[in-house]
Amino acid sequence: MNHPDYIAAESIQQALHLKQVHGEDAHVVAGGTDLILRMRDEILAPELLIDLRKISLDRISKHEGGMQLGAYVQIAQLLAHPVIKETYPALAEACRQFAGPPIRNRGTLGGNIINASPAADLLPPLMAYDASLVLESISGQREMPLDQFLQGPGQTRLAPNELLTRIMLPQILANSATSFIKLGHRRSMAIAIVNVCTRISLAKDGSVEQARVVLGSVAPTVIRSQESEARLKGQLLSEDLIEDCARLAADDATPISDVRASSEYRKRMVRVLVRRALTANQSELSGGIAGA
Amino acid sequence: MRITVNGRQRDVSSEPVKTLLHVLREDLGLTGTKDGCSSGDCGACTVMLDGRVVNSCMVMVAQADGASVVTVEGIATGGQPAEVLHPLQKAFSQCWSFQCGFCTQGMLVSCYDLLQTNDNPSREDILTAIAGNFCRCTGYQAVVTAVQQAAAEIRTSDAGAQNERA
Ligand SMILES: Cc1cc2nc3c(=O)[nH]c(=O)nc-3n(C[C@H](O)[C@H](O)[C@H](O)COP(=O)(O)OP(=O)(O)OC[C@H]3O[C@@H](n4cnc5c(N)ncnc54)[C@H](O)[C@@H]3O)c2cc1C
Repeated sequence: MNHPDYIAAESIQQALHLKQVHGEDAHVVAGGTDLILRMRDEILAPELLIDLRKISLDRISKHEGGMQLGAYVQIAQLLAHPVIKETYPALAEACRQFAGPPIRNRGTLGGNIINASPAADLLPPLMAYDASLVLESISGQREMPLDQFLQGPGQTRLAPNELLTRIMLPQILANSATSFIKLGHRRSMAIAIVNVCTRISLAKDGSVEQARVVLGSVAPTVIRSQESEARLKGQLLSEDLIEDCARLAADDATPISDVRASSEYRKRMVRVLVRRALTANQSELSGGIAGA
Repeated sequence: MRITVNGRQRDVSSEPVKTLLHVLREDLGLTGTKDGCSSGDCGACTVMLDGRVVNSCMVMVAQADGASVVTVEGIATGGQPAEVLHPLQKAFSQCWSFQCGFCTQGMLVSCYDLLQTNDNPSREDILTAIAGNFCRCTGYQAVVTAVQQAAAEIRTSDAGAQNERA
């Protein structure tokens, strides 16, 4: 490990100012659960660490029918929040399956997004709920949809002088169901082999008004399966349609082989998990048992 | 930097990026907390930081500046060395809940945290609480047994204390 300077910023302005001056040489510390390992393994050697813990970026509040989440909101905090569980259940489910209690007590939402791992568990539900990100620098702020923000493993469109401050979740259409499924080697403390999140929102006539089919761990970033989303739109859910979409989603996946699983296995599992997730959505929307 | 460890204020002058784990063990001599994997996976270094369980290998000491830490040494009462073991510690030894003992302190801290808010935990509650603590030799069943025994003892002594007051 190198020997960076360490500042716990007292205000967002101070943090933004330090980022403006030091750019890529300064790294933000949220929970540190990704950062510490990357420093230890000498993948990162920052000159300055800017700790965000004293800045109030840990609020969860309602906003224009949706919700607004501070970047420093911890996984455990999201998991314990009744409104998140009620309104964005797939996000709560991803938090429940995230690591174990000690990591959930440290890791933050913002860290999970900026770390931009293809296997990050919160990204599929956030994308399925059309989350957008508020990025701030001393010259102002901009908002960007999450699906445009991710560029590759660990690569995002965050500028060197910017911080992620808030995550915006829009109001979800009335007749919606979402489902998050994670496949790992064990039930806790596992990085996903594949994780998927689907959301189906139905129009009044029962046809699919909005579909999100989000795949994790099977491409350089978490991705939406354009093909299966297009196939779902305007249709009535059926077993055949779901099977078709599961196949299309597997076609959209371009996984690698690594220590956790082979590329072939991952592709097959995309098909299985998307089928299960959409089936859970279908049964929830038809008044059956709620999805996973 | 100043950290309250097991109720005592300690000044720490190490590098800010040194892990809390290594500060506890090397600078403060509290070697009950173990270094298992140094990557947040195994839970042998579990401590309470401002009342919540964390992996002390996943905390830089500067992140804990001003905070309060409880280690396994702080779970027993009556000063140090401990005079009165916590019911959990007694139950772990009575129920043979460890063999090599390397994971034990992490298990104790996680279960101590659980018992703060749940005095009658189910098997599922306990397994959820220790999801971040790996044991590679004894297994988890004897831990579940011990935690339930400790919880029962705490409930009985709380009830006893209430009766005395009444
Ligand atoms: C044992 C273990 C188990 C894990 N299990 C899981 C799991 O099950 N699922 C999963 O998805 N992940 C898992 N992770 C990864 C990690 O815990 C998460 O990605 C976590 O959300 C990271 O948050 P953090 O606050 O700790 O990030 P940090 O390490 O503090 O930061 C990560 C990166 O983001 C940057 N950053 C953080 N906040 C901001 C901000 N507001 N603005 C700009 N940049 C910022 C930092 O500079 C750094 O580059 C695990 C990690 C460990 C060690």
